[in-house]
Amino acid sequence: MEKNQLSRRNFLEQSALIGAAGLAGISALSSCSNKSKPVDYEFPPLLDKAPDGEKLRAGLIGCGNRGTGAALNFLAAGNDLEMVALADVFEDKVWDCHSKLVKQMVEVPKNNCFWGFDAYKSLLEVDLDVVILATPPHFRPEHFDAAIQAKKHVFMEKPVSVDPVGSRQIIATSKKAENMGLSVITGTQRRHQRDYLETYRQVASGAIGEITSAKAWWLQSHVWFRTREEGWNDMEYMLRNWNNFCWLCGDHILDTHVHNIDIVNWFLGKQPESAIGFGGRVRRLTGDQYDFFSIDFEFGNGVFSHSMSRQVDGCANTLGELVMGTDGYTNCKNTIFNPDGSVKWQYEYPKNRDGKSTGIVEVSPYVQEHIDLVTAIRTKKPVVEAERTAISTLTAIMGRTAAYTGQKVTWEDMLNSTERLGPEKYEMGDVNMDFPVPLPGTQHKA
Amino acid sequence: MAIIISKKLFGKMAEKTVKRKHYLIFVIGALASILFLALSKKGLDYTSTDEFCAACHAHPHADATFKLSVHNSNRSGVSAKCVDCHLPPEDQPVYYLTRKAYHGFHDLYVFVTRDPEEIDWAAKRNDLAAKRFVYEDGCKKCHTNLFPSTLDPLGAESHLKYVRDPENNSCIKCHLNVGHYRGEPSLTMEEVVLSPEEIFNEPAIVTVFEDYKEQIPGTAVSFNMKAVPGGQFNMGSPADEPYRRPDEGPVREVEVNSFWMAEVEVTWNEYLAFFNATSSQGRTEADAQTDEEVDGISGATPPWGAPDQGWGMGSRPAITMTHHAAQTYCRWLSSVTGKKYRLPTEAEWEYAARGGTEGPYFFDGSPKNFERDGLWNKIFGPDTTGINSFVVYQENSPYRTQPPLLVRPNPFGLKNMLGNVSEFCLDYYDPQVYAKYPQGVVKNPRGPREGLEHVIRGGSFKNTPKDLRVARRDFTRTKEWLETDPQIPKSIWWYSDCNHVGFRVICEYDTDELNEKKPKNQ
Repeated sequence: MEKNQLSRRNFLEQSALIGAAGLAGISALSSCSNKSKPVDYEFPPLLDKAPDGEKLRAGLIGCGNRGTGAALNFLAAGNDLEMVALADVFEDKVWDCHSKLVKQMVEVPKNNCFWGFDAYKSLLEVDLDVVILATPPHFRPEHFDAAIQAKKHVFMEKPVSVDPVGSRQIIATSKKAENMGLSVITGTQRRHQRDYLETYRQVASGAIGEITSAKAWWLQSHVWFRTREEGWNDMEYMLRNWNNFCWLCGDHILDTHVHNIDIVNWFLGKQPESAIGFGGRVRRLTGDQYDFFSIDFEFGNGVFSHSMSRQVDGCANTLGELVMGTDGYTNCKNTIFNPDGSVKWQYEYPKNRDGKSTGIVEVSPYVQEHIDLVTAIRTKKPVVEAERTAISTLTAIMGRTAAYTGQKVTWEDMLNSTERLGPEKYEMGDVNMDFPVPLPGTQHKA
Repeated sequence: MAIIISKKLFGKMAEKTVKRKHYLIFVIGALASILFLALSKKGLDYTSTDEFCAACHAHPHADATFKLSVHNSNRSGVSAKCVDCHLPPEDQPVYYLTRKAYHGFHDLYVFVTRDPEEIDWAAKRNDLAAKRFVYEDGCKKCHTNLFPSTLDPLGAESHLKYVRDPENNSCIKCHLNVGHYRGEPSLTMEEVVLSPEEIFNEPAIVTVFEDYKEQIPGTAVSFNMKAVPGGQFNMGSPADEPYRRPDEGPVREVEVNSFWMAEVEVTWNEYLAFFNATSSQGRTEADAQTDEEVDGISGATPPWGAPDQGWGMGSRPAITMTHHAAQTYCRWLSSVTGKKYRLPTEAEWEYAARGGTEGPYFFDGSPKNFERDGLWNKIFGPDTTGINSFVVYQENSPYRTQPPLLVRPNPFGLKNMLGNVSEFCLDYYDPQVYAKYPQGVVKNPRGPREGLEHVIRGGSFKNTPKDLRVARRDFTRTKEWLETDPQIPKSIWWYSDCNHVGFRVICEYDTDELNEKKPKNQ
């Protein structure tokens, strides 16, 4: 039986062996050969706190709000954890982050603070063990490879790239990390969330039968943007408004919706074979991205997943995932339903003083990620999540490409695509790039 | 007589025996020594040393180029041996020993029988040739990690490609010169450069009567035209041809002029170029018939639904357009290329389809054998090996059009004349028209002057072998093919109920015009 095929028996055996380890990572790259091997690591037990051990010194590359948050999450993961260096392309971002950390009683030595496009190289020369990558995703493949070459453990945010070339680079670097015994955790926090993990365990052991279809959606109001200020050159403007430029952000089907796509890939045990979809831009004020996407991902054998992502105010906004099976369905997060809609199983959240369910997991998944990273490092049981997150990122890119072009896009296309977004060189100043909003198909004659 | 023959035979045999004896001694000796050596570990080791290899490998470059190569001269101080690359690893003992024996014997034989000066060493320096004496498992025995930390992005891409598809990639495809340094770069990687689609500014310029590639200006679309030299042939099928229909006779001697014919049926790419350039808004059904005088050609109105039936467009033959639309396409194509394109006449079509052959098909075989009827074929299934590679038909199409280049061409180089989709001809259809032509050789017949329906020729993905015959005639059924079109008036551009007919263009060959063009290009 092919390993990436989804069957209950296969799942049972595998899940018995490897616990709740993600199966989605199963060598998607070698899907055409049978040399695929399942992700063979044992997932660290979900501890409330990382075990004590050697002191771990961390550096942060990308000092925005998520970076700063990730730094604090890391420090909250256990004892003897230190932040020792900061790097960002902008000096003001570095000092801003520095002062936020000081308020949390975290003192990063000022001579370990770097800025500029090459700041990450200086940071990697500091004596440290762990690197947190939280820049705009465009830079991730380059930073990740440099971090692994420097023999650092890595926590990196999703998405892990903005184009197929970058995704494949992440996969290659991921293999380097595996060979070197390093640990890499990605910011796909649902995979570190106890309710999701328990629900996955249920589904993997057959609670909803064979999976027949799925749905994933991230529908929300508009997100942050920056209008151009006087004195900003093209590069500075785009970097400060990175969430609205495709070459930096990858569009919101990657930036946020990749979470949902990652869950569907995880629960279905593979990535889709192809995508057809559409999208458009109706409300955005800056940048070159779409407001909405609707993608039909085909997983083969008549299994499809409908992926929706939208950032428009005043609409039916909600987010989640749903996976249908022959014997029921699940919201992936905490509940298994019978085919008639009645609840078959529900995750038991911790209770408050009144004995009522709190509805949230005990340890924040954003901290759990770092607990799992530190645990993997200290127990010498390396975990590398980069490849599976690269596969989910590439899945989202396949959907985006389908919408931008109007074409059916296959996984094979993604593995062969030479698309690389962004300028050749990174330097502050005016940038000679056009930013047309993608138009699918061709114009018909008037 | 018999004696002479036997003497001759005997003499030859005697000669052979003597030769064979020498040969045998040589072989036995070689085998014995190999066997002897194989039996002792020492012998095995000895014959795997670089010195032993160098003893025969007298071609001067081998040793010198190896010493300069990265496999000998590198930072690590580790040096590879000849056998590390040129034999499989020893942990595959059977393969290792047989290859060792083979190479030993082969190299010895070459050393004894051939002058090293005469050997074309340069021809062996490419990845395909080198596969015969460089073992990938040997590479992988030492290079166990395909993703070392310092691997650069291009290397990472290439190694991922190798991991995905080891059959079509190999170590030496990129690392050809790592074993022997001759001043070439150690990496022979092909960088993928994607060139944007070329948009043609000009149509093809044709000065002689031979095949050409037409280019549609303003698009990236091109297609091949095959030169079909004119001649005489027997049109129609003889009365004894299996499955013959009455409208296929009487057989007439027909002569046609030279022309070019498209290699394949008009593709969706070609047809959409026309549609995109000429399509009109609203509905032009009523006045379209009389727009011949107007400057611009007003083309089809947008179709409802998916005219490709969801089978895909691209290079598949365009379908569901009406005969009128096909003729409008030809007028448009003529105007943008400056040539005389039109539908073929029925006679031109059959002449081109036969390609000089006279049977039921342009390839060997009888419809009786291919057709799934008769007791034998019903039980055992027909033998379709002859027909399968030439025709897209019911048996191999799964009931849809197929990309055109899959099949083999007919003697004129034309593909899918008998299958994939049926094709419109210029002529009106008349079942008795062959008999109505004047006596003698008929020159360039064009069918009846008037009519309602047009001839279609050639079978389609829907047909079985009996209707794929080259003489088989059919005709348009306008009313039937518009049955479910709910609009009034019904479309003159798209058939709602016909998905198996397309068309093929021909270009008229006009010697005077060609001669006029000639000086301009010389």
